Order: sequence, then structure tokens, then C-alpha cells
Amino acid sequence: MYIKIDLATCDGCKICYNVCPQDVFTWNEETKKPKVSYEEECWFCGICWMDCPERGIDITYPVSIS
Amino acid sequence: MTDDLTEIADEVIETDVLMIGGGVGGCCAVAKAKENGLDVTLIEKAHIDRSGSAGQGIDHYEGFFTRDGTTTIENVSNEDWRLGRYGVRYPNLNVKYRLYKCQFWVFEQLEKLGVPMRWDDGEPYWIPFPFVGWERRKTGLRVHWTNIKPILGRAVRRSGARILNRTMAIDLLTKDGKVVGATAVNIRTGEFIVIKAKATLIATGKLMRLYNPETPMPWKYKFRYHFCPASSAGDGYALVYRAGGDLVNMDINAWTFRIRDDLTCSYGSFSLNDGVPMKTYTWDGEEIINPNATRYKQLEDEGKTPIYFGFDHFSEDSHKRLEVAFADERMLSFKVAEDRGFNPKTHRYELQDLSPTGFYRVSGIYIDENFRVLRGNKPIEGLYAFGDGSAGGTSGVAGAATGGLLLAEDLPEILQDMDEPEIDISQVEEQKQIALAPLAVEEGVEPLELESAIRDICERYVGMFKSEGKLREGLRRLGSLKDWLGKLSAETPHHITGYLECRNLLDLAEVHIKACIERKETRGNYFRSDYPDIDPDMDGKFFSQRIENGKEIIELREPIPLKPEYLKDAEEEKAELQTADAAS
Repeated sequence: MYIKIDLATCDGCKICYNVCPQDVFTWNEETKKPKVSYEEECWFCGICWMDCPERGIDITYPVSIS
Repeated sequence: MTDDLTEIADEVIETDVLMIGGGVGGCCAVAKAKENGLDVTLIEKAHIDRSGSAGQGIDHYEGFFTRDGTTTIENVSNEDWRLGRYGVRYPNLNVKYRLYKCQFWVFEQLEKLGVPMRWDDGEPYWIPFPFVGWERRKTGLRVHWTNIKPILGRAVRRSGARILNRTMAIDLLTKDGKVVGATAVNIRTGEFIVIKAKATLIATGKLMRLYNPETPMPWKYKFRYHFCPASSAGDGYALVYRAGGDLVNMDINAWTFRIRDDLTCSYGSFSLNDGVPMKTYTWDGEEIINPNATRYKQLEDEGKTPIYFGFDHFSEDSHKRLEVAFADERMLSFKVAEDRGFNPKTHRYELQDLSPTGFYRVSGIYIDENFRVLRGNKPIEGLYAFGDGSAGGTSGVAGAATGGLLLAEDLPEILQDMDEPEIDISQVEEQKQIALAPLAVEEGVEPLELESAIRDICERYVGMFKSEGKLREGLRRLGSLKDWLGKLSAETPHHITGYLECRNLLDLAEVHIKACIERKETRGNYFRSDYPDIDPDMDGKFFSQRIENGKEIIELREPIPLKPEYLKDAEEEKAELQTADAAS
């Protein structure tokens, strides 16, 4: 819930799926869109947020760190 | 048992050079080795375009002693002395000397790879040197390296190297005491890969994951380290240790404040890289000096905590420089600050108590100045290491890039007379079984749960203030955790990563605790509650650990001194400087 992909904005370029250092995303072959499958392994580096050419990923820090 | 590797492995690769680790160091080594005409295979457990601790960017390159490239003996000695005050010695000063000596050559090589080394005005931006009240004896460059990894990734692709992303090394392959390659697994497809190589190079980053992240996360998000967790799992350390190589200074780990407000001012050093120190305050605004562990305890007892880093005293210009640093290294921090309404002009970053973090700079894989991994004082044929995971160089991108470029420059001559590697197929079978075992475990334990238990042992029974009873209890409990490795399950190949990392961390936690048991003294930032004094017999010495004939060896050793030719070179340089000073 802390890494949100705006699927309407996403153009299926696969950049986030390709480059995530912690392999947090999986790829849905039917929808041709990424899915956040291993969110607990995210280290909140922001690479997916930075590299998404459509600005389609939003990251919020978890409440447990507030 | 078959003797045909293609019947066991999904892919068999024969190559001159196997590079394990595709961070800054690995990418530099690969590009240079390809330029020198070698066949090169790179395996990276993430993706080279954003892997490693510079994946999201970095704001500085710290590789120079002076701005004119001189490397006088005082500079190298001062660096060693400075660390000696904190209880550690570089195991081999020759590594450091060689790394710093060629920095202007490295500058040119990085520019050739497309890496921007200059500031907006086209000139190098030297980090101010030295700081008042900050004991640096060296300098470096401020750089705009948000995209250093995509740039190096492109250079590696253009070089024509064979690149295997999402591929993690399982173990090194050895034959008659030599390293002849490695096995690996694709952590998305589960494919098992054998790579035969004349030279195996390791640059897999630091070891941080024996302890919890600098940013404490009390619930399920347990990877908020300051550096990339994928390249902070100590993979290379474990590969070397299991292959019989030495690890050194594994009792001495770095330490830092836990950064409670994870907007990450990079331990406060962003502003230092522009020459402006932050200030440290108690909760009620009293300015203090950065406390060590003992002083932090006193502050707690006095009711003076929490403590904070502050930038609110900065000029407008310094605040703008700070923003640029965040853009260069931690761009997400802007979004996080905006979400919280955090303004570094008016707010302060809370710090928590000092805690152990990682093993790097002086700890890690024992190498010589040719980046050969050592067993005792002898190099292991076919095995090399550089970057954060190797002990004795500079940490950070400077050590990684320099080590990779220098080694790759030497490799053609090294490989010239090397025999074709021969593989022991029984090792391949064994390593395949190890790597793929969790795929067959049903209703097993998640790797992260086991890793949390390993970290908890190091936090609880080792930590900052150690003692014999705690260390021995920690070792005993760690032993019982090893039984759980076989109960880890991987629903998909993705979880094989966590499983292999746990396997590595179990070995490394044992190495760490055993080294701590041996150091029976307090020195610098190494605290033994039961041995509160310095042991003079330990002056200048360090522990090395390896496996030899199935037995664990731990030795107390003297550092390797500077070679006569380096000493002579440094003395001649010093004489030239003195002559130049006298003339001017």
C-alpha cells in the first residue's frame, strides 16, 4: 500500500520491473503492467519513482516509521 | 553421476573473466576488461542500471589525498593513524597507496566511460579540505551522479560483455586450491548456471545486514538501510570465506547514529561535502559535539535526549547546496519531506543511539595491492576482490571504481599464461542442490523471518557493549538457527535470494562473533564491558579468519607494511614538494 502504481498512467514500459534493486515488482503478462508483489522487501530508495517516465508511481513512507 | 555439465546446468558459460557484482566497481572493471580484449561475463543479482549502493545516485567521489595527485607517506600514514585511534588498522597499506596514487588516471577513465566528473562550471569541484574540527586528511569531488548507474550500464552494454541480470552467485568453484569460476541461479526463472572462468572477480558491496537498518522499522519493512540492502548482504565475503580465503577485522564494524527521521541527510555528511558542517543539539536546543556511544548513554541519563542534527543555521546558499546534494543522491527525500511538512531550514533531524552497522573499509576480504584474495599471506590463484567488500582500500565509489579499473588493466597479462579451468562436477551438483532446495519445501519459513532472527542475535548478544557471556550465548543461539536453513521455503525463485542471503549471513555472523570473543580489550569504538582497558599486546594488530582443511582458523596478525618501492616513491614525492614549497 505504500508503493502505488497508477495503472491508468502506466504505459507498460517495464522500467520499474527491470531495475528495482530488491525485485519488489512482478510482471502481469495478461495486463502487461507491473505489480508490487514483495513490498516488505522494499528499501524505499525511490528508484522506481524517479525512473518511471510517466510519473506513475507514488511512494509514501510507512506509518511505522512516522 | 554424469560428467557432462550441460546435463546438470541450464546454462554453461566459459569465459576469461567472471565479474560477480555489477555496481560501480563491477561495471568499471567489465568495461575496461572488454576494452582490453577479454571475454567477460557479469552476473548481478539486481540490474546493472540501478544496482549497488550508488544505484539511486551519489553526491561525492572521495578518492584523493590532495588536489594535485601527490600521495605522500604522511597522508597514507595519517589515514592509518586516524583509524588506529579508533582501534583499527588497515591490514595492507599498499592497497590504499595504490588506490590513491592513480586517481587522476581514474578521473580520465571515468570521463571516457561517460561519467560526469566536473561541476556545472566545467571544472572539478573539490570538497573543501581540511574541515575545521573534522579530521579529514584527504579530499574528493562533489559530483552530480544521480544517474551514474544508467551511464555505466550503458557503457557495459556497449562494451559487448555478457550480462546476466537477476543472477545471484551460489558458491565459488575450486580445484586444487584455485578458484575456477562459480555457480549461480537466476532469481526470477530459477535457472541454474555454471560459469567457468580463468579469473573470478568479486565486488558485491558491503556487509550491513548482520544488524538492523539505520532507520529502525518496527513492523514488517526491515530493509531501510542507508545503503542498498541487496549489495549490503556480504555475499562476496561469504563466497570467499567458504572457498578458503581470509576475512579480516570481522570484530571491528562501523557504527553510526540510527537516523530516526529518515529523510537521510546521509549521516549529516551531505553538507560536509560542500564544506559546511551541520550542528548537533539536545532536545532543548543545547549545541553539543557529536557524542560517541559512552557520551550518548550519559546524555540519556541526564535527560538530554533525543538529539538532533540541525541545518537551520545555514545561509541561503548552503541550503540550496544541500538541496542539490539531495537531488544528486537521495531524490525521494524531497517527496518524503513534502509529505511530512519537513523543512530543513526550520526543522531538525532526530538521531537515536549509536549502533553497529557494517563491515567495510578495514573489514572484509583480505586482498593485496594487486586485488588478489589472500589465504594466509598467499594469493589464491584465480580469485580477486575490490570495492567495499575488500579490506584496506577506500570505501565508496572511489575504491570500487579504482580497484575495478586497475585490476582490469592488469588482467590481460595475468591471464596470458593461465591454464583452462577444470571443474569438479561434484561441487556443481552439491551447489545446485543447495540453491534449489527451498523450492521443494512446503509450508516452510520465510527467509526474512530467519534473517530477522540472525540480526536480533547480533543486536542483543553482540551490539556496541560486548562481554564474554553475551557473546557465547549469541554463538550458541546462532548455532541453533542454522537448523532452520533447511526449513526455508521459496514459493517462487525470487525467495531463493533471501534464502541464499540467510545462508551467507549465518556464516558471517559466526565469523563476527568468534572474532569478538577473541578481542579481549576496549579500544577506540570497540567496547568490552568485561575488558575495559586497552591490551597493548594488540597494538597495531588485527584478526584474520579462514577455513583450512575443514577447520576454522583465527590468527592475530601484523599489517603488511608499505613496500620499499612505495616508500621510496612517497619520499621522493615529499622531497619534490618541499623543494617546490621552498622555491615559492
